Amino acid sequence: MLLNRDTSGRRWRIRPDGRGKVTGELEYLTDLSLPNMLIGRVLRSPHPHAYIRSVDVSKALALPGVHAALTAKDVPGLNRFGIARPDYPVFCEDRVRFIGDAVAAIAADSDELAELALAAIEVDYEPLPVVDDPERAILGDSPLLYEEGNVFHRNGYKFGDIEAGFAAAAHIVEEIYSTPRQMHTYMETEGGLFVPGEDGRLTAYSPTQHGFMDRMQLSRILAKPEEDIRIVSSPIGGSFGGKDELNVQPYGALLALATGRPVKLHNSRWESVRAGLKRHPMKITMKTGVDADGRLVAHRAYVIADKGPYSTLGAEVLNFATEHVVGPYRFKAVDVDTVSAFTNNGMSGEFRGFGGNQAIFALEGQLDRLAALLGMDPWELRRRNLRRAEDPGPLGQPISVTGGAGQVWASLEGSALWRRRSESPAPVSSAPWLKRGIGAAYVMHGAGLGVGIPDPAGGRLQLRGDGKIEAVFGYEEFGQGLIASLMQMLIETFGFAERDIVITIGDTDVVPDSGSTTASRATSMMWQSLRRLRGPFAGKLLEAASRALALPAETLAIGEDGIRDAGDGRLLLSYAALAGAAGQPIAAQAHFSYPTSPVDRVGAHYMYSYSAVAVEVEVNTLTGRVHVVDQYHAVAAGPVVNPQGYLGQIEGGSSMALGFALTEDAVMSGGHYLTKNLDTYLVPTIVEHNGAVTVDAIEELPEGDEHGPRGLGELGSVGLAPAIAEAVYRATGKRASKLPIDPALLQEPIRFNEGGERHDRESANIGGAFRQA
Amino acid sequence: MAHSHEAHQRSPSVWHPASGREAWRLKRELGEGAVFVAGGTLLRTQWEAGLAPYPAQLIDLSGAADMTGIKQSDEDGRGWRIGALATLAECRSHPGLAADFPLVKEAARLIAAPAVRNLATIGGNVLSRTGDMATALLALDTELLWLNDAGTHAEPLSAWLGRDREGLSGAPGLLLAILPSDVSGISMISKTRRFCAFHKVGRREAFVPPVVNVALNVAFDEGGAVADIRIAAGGGTMIPARLAAAEALTLGRTPDASLLAALHAAVNDEYAPKPDPFVGEAYRRMTAANLVAAALWKAGLDARASGEEGEPCC
Repeated sequence: MLLNRDTSGRRWRIRPDGRGKVTGELEYLTDLSLPNMLIGRVLRSPHPHAYIRSVDVSKALALPGVHAALTAKDVPGLNRFGIARPDYPVFCEDRVRFIGDAVAAIAADSDELAELALAAIEVDYEPLPVVDDPERAILGDSPLLYEEGNVFHRNGYKFGDIEAGFAAAAHIVEEIYSTPRQMHTYMETEGGLFVPGEDGRLTAYSPTQHGFMDRMQLSRILAKPEEDIRIVSSPIGGSFGGKDELNVQPYGALLALATGRPVKLHNSRWESVRAGLKRHPMKITMKTGVDADGRLVAHRAYVIADKGPYSTLGAEVLNFATEHVVGPYRFKAVDVDTVSAFTNNGMSGEFRGFGGNQAIFALEGQLDRLAALLGMDPWELRRRNLRRAEDPGPLGQPISVTGGAGQVWASLEGSALWRRRSESPAPVSSAPWLKRGIGAAYVMHGAGLGVGIPDPAGGRLQLRGDGKIEAVFGYEEFGQGLIASLMQMLIETFGFAERDIVITIGDTDVVPDSGSTTASRATSMMWQSLRRLRGPFAGKLLEAASRALALPAETLAIGEDGIRDAGDGRLLLSYAALAGAAGQPIAAQAHFSYPTSPVDRVGAHYMYSYSAVAVEVEVNTLTGRVHVVDQYHAVAAGPVVNPQGYLGQIEGGSSMALGFALTEDAVMSGGHYLTKNLDTYLVPTIVEHNGAVTVDAIEELPEGDEHGPRGLGELGSVGLAPAIAEAVYRATGKRASKLPIDPALLQEPIRFNEGGERHDRESANIGGAFRQA
Repeated sequence: MAHSHEAHQRSPSVWHPASGREAWRLKRELGEGAVFVAGGTLLRTQWEAGLAPYPAQLIDLSGAADMTGIKQSDEDGRGWRIGALATLAECRSHPGLAADFPLVKEAARLIAAPAVRNLATIGGNVLSRTGDMATALLALDTELLWLNDAGTHAEPLSAWLGRDREGLSGAPGLLLAILPSDVSGISMISKTRRFCAFHKVGRREAFVPPVVNVALNVAFDEGGAVADIRIAAGGGTMIPARLAAAEALTLGRTPDASLLAALHAAVNDEYAPKPDPFVGEAYRRMTAANLVAAALWKAGLDARASGEEGEPCC
């Protein structure tokens, strides 16, 4: 079904949190302030790599209006954080390893005073050689970030006889692909308000993608019981993985406890660029062979990722890339080797797509290059090698069976955009330097955290005393439309009216641990939760109503505003009256885990979504600049929970892919960012987005499928970049293997032939008068 | 430390002169620590980046009535005076100015984004030297009207930029107004048809400084030969300049294949961009050469298409 406002009908609802966000009325957590609060600031290393000989905060502390100046020795608990492996120092003790590393933190009466105090802190550094190239970092003669070496993580996957495969190949493509250090560029930079309570508790109002993970980590840093810490974490002005790890929270918490006063931190964009996570830059070397019939016979991939100095979820990202460089194709032999290297560059970490974006850009590039060598249509080459529904996953693991792979292939094949690829576009007579081309890419993307990683899920429904139906989940709203999707599911599952419902999220004092809002998992897990809660909660409501009304439960129905007559729909008992009559709370809770594949391979996925993306580009060969004019996305991710949310994820994800492909790169030199702000780090603007986007949502699942909606949050961010690269090739004959695409690669000098003397607009063949080499 | 502590605690004093002359007098009295501010859009980025200190004194020009407005400067409707404080949004939307100087309108359209254009002034953009407006105005033989102790005097924009290029940087006074040349006064040739074009290339499609910009202002005689031409180019950190050798090459010739090829080579030689970590010099050169050659080719096409009915464009 082409998904848009018209085809959605009554399901196209106004988003509950839309008005506040559009008008600016909504108060984000970083908008909060308290009358007696202090301003916190962090002193970060000016060196990408150095020993710390000494830190002296005494002059800063002596300034009037400065209330605390903390260093490593002021951390009562573990001076480290990190979701997977806590190796990121809250404050560096004796060594800094990148320019975002924290050395001290200040709480002062004002921002200006805090800045002045930062300048008064005396740190004696001894600079060390900077490791800024991941490939050189893992050679024997590289300076080391850690005694154990600069190899952070390795993975691999092999099957079949790779050499025999290459020997049998009719064509072999070898290519090296590079992808940029992309920044999440959320509108709301990292920050929060940290409030110590008189009862000894601490409340952190600060965005995160998993409140309970923050609570556990803060507990470990502060040496304070988890129950004494409350994390309020929504609404969030964008995250995309970038606020998954702790960022300002340790400093806010420590400063608030040290001063006994509320402390606010809010990173400037400059500080956010300097200290924040980025997408792992990857260099992917691939060698892929195909036989004369277009069967993929051998596929070798070597991935090297630039980790930066600390773990974050870098191992998991590399594992994801290991899985996704194999992707949805039936290779006869595969040999994948991946490594992530510590460097003194910026911090790499979690980012929408999670290693899939880099892997798929390379993999799809190989398919397109092989198709060209074979003289075969690139989509036909994919069809010949596409997985069947019952095939195992990319790592040989059992996966949830859907027909998604074939469905999105067929949808794209039949799309108007793809069908016009063979028609040569009419030349623009007044601008013959504009060249058009159409390309496509295929995506198979795993969701959930994968085998071997705790991945809890669940939620609670309850009838409140005031008659509101309250849905309580530990997920976060960071703009993706989670509240709208939950609201829509509650209305459509139970028959409530929107006015009957209250949604409570993002507060560890009241929500159950629903797991993280990451890995394209939250909507799936809310759907699963409601599926489990539907019977018990409806049963309890009807049972209580039956007692209150002295009517058989079978004659009653849940509806808008209250319990209704199952026959004629009359309202019999409002929810408020039901709450009053029940006398005791009516609630139901679900707790379960994200489904996983029964294999012993950490990170292997079980639930996959599929998409196929076609794109038309226009390349200006005078300037080498690429404009995307049309996009078609076929998506197989199960039922559409919320039409606008679904479209928003695909459109928003593809917007990030557009930046990944054409404009975005946090450029570093010697461990320092050259792109320090949004004047040189360039996200796409509305002008880049003026092309059409069509989304075909394929909802069909096999009969008996129990998993419902699949992950959607990352899918849209993956396929556009390789599709653009192929479209650019079709337009210009040039292959871009490095992103973002360098306009210099596509630029051509204007050439005029002798026909150029006839500058006649009526000339039938303007190309005869104007050529480019 | 105590001094900088005080500086941190103090917001700048803001002065509100009512005229350019009063503003200049304040600047003389207050000295180096005082900074003129109009839209403030460039200054605030410099403060934030640490490229310029927060000033102790700000002289807000917005009340200087003689520096505002866009008007035709003499009675018979010839010549224009663009107040230095005219915003880029005003320059973009002023119907009379757009009709006489589409180059100014087009450059204004391509600068920054709507919120910035509502604040930023044409004077500020010209004085930044590396914005788009100077390139467009160079192709219009523009003069700058300065005010200083000696009174007011007009100076060609190209002369001021030339001095700046020689390292004699700085403004010789307060910029009151911008005076693009009266088109009808330039090389009047009977049956002349005049065409112009402004092209900007950045690292994305909007809201970026120019990597390369070019402006073309050309008139053809009745035989289709170039009768009068101005080509200007800028971008990056270079100071925009007329491309005199490229211009000279085209005079008296029709834009045929050989002329366009020669023009391409000449622009490639003469244009003097500076590379930065994001965009190399070779790309900048070829972009300028391509854009200029394409613009003249297009102007030639348009000239033929418009025949005797052609309308002045610049």
